[in-house]
Amino acid sequence: MNEHRHHKVKDIFLDGAIDPAFVGTSIAKHATRTDIGAHEIFLGQVRADEADGRRVAAIEYTAYREMALERMTVIREEAFGKWPEMTCLHVHHSLGIIKAGELCFMVFASAPHRSASREAVSWVVDRIKAELPIFGKEMLEQGGHEWKVNHG
Amino acid sequence: MRIRLFGMIAEKAGTDHLEVNAGSLDELRAMLAQRIQGLDGIRHAIAVDRRIVQSDIVLTGSEEIAVLPPFAGG
Repeated sequence: MNEHRHHKVKDIFLDGAIDPAFVGTSIAKHATRTDIGAHEIFLGQVRADEADGRRVAAIEYTAYREMALERMTVIREEAFGKWPEMTCLHVHHSLGIIKAGELCFMVFASAPHRSASREAVSWVVDRIKAELPIFGKEMLEQGGHEWKVNHG
Repeated sequence: MRIRLFGMIAEKAGTDHLEVNAGSLDELRAMLAQRIQGLDGIRHAIAVDRRIVQSDIVLTGSEEIAVLPPFAGG
């Protein structure tokens, strides 16, 4: 039980977009865990933000991987501390060029009951956005780029 | 010591790393401001051994140091 707490640093990063089929496969992998009663999944999709007549075509994500993975390990431990009944927590973030409409971020928590998984996912998403050194270059349809900045 | 640069700061500097010798974090901050044009106009943080440090600390040269622009994960 709670073997997830003893995991070494997990790599959350993958090259390219998250395939929607991967989300389905991830859910299916939990079928044998019959103590689970609730899955909560957050999926981040690249949005074609528009401003001043310019439109985001894609985001190129880069990261300071070593620090990001260390921070993620701390956040994961804290999440299991706050929601000890949580069965498992899976986090994936894309690197490289992700086009508008593609998935770039997934946080997936499972628990016996929905309150733990729901609260944990929301909390983990907020922490990741605020604390993981991930950088996003918004590539514009008209050419050129801007740098994405998370607020609050 | 090797300083890693990321995102818009690497773009501004035209490189993803700089070699500098600084005995303290404040000394490093002053050097970076000189080496990277426009750095003072970009919100950024310095990570020492993968933790953000805001105060002045002594640097021995063995630390892993990175200059981080605003985060954009998610």
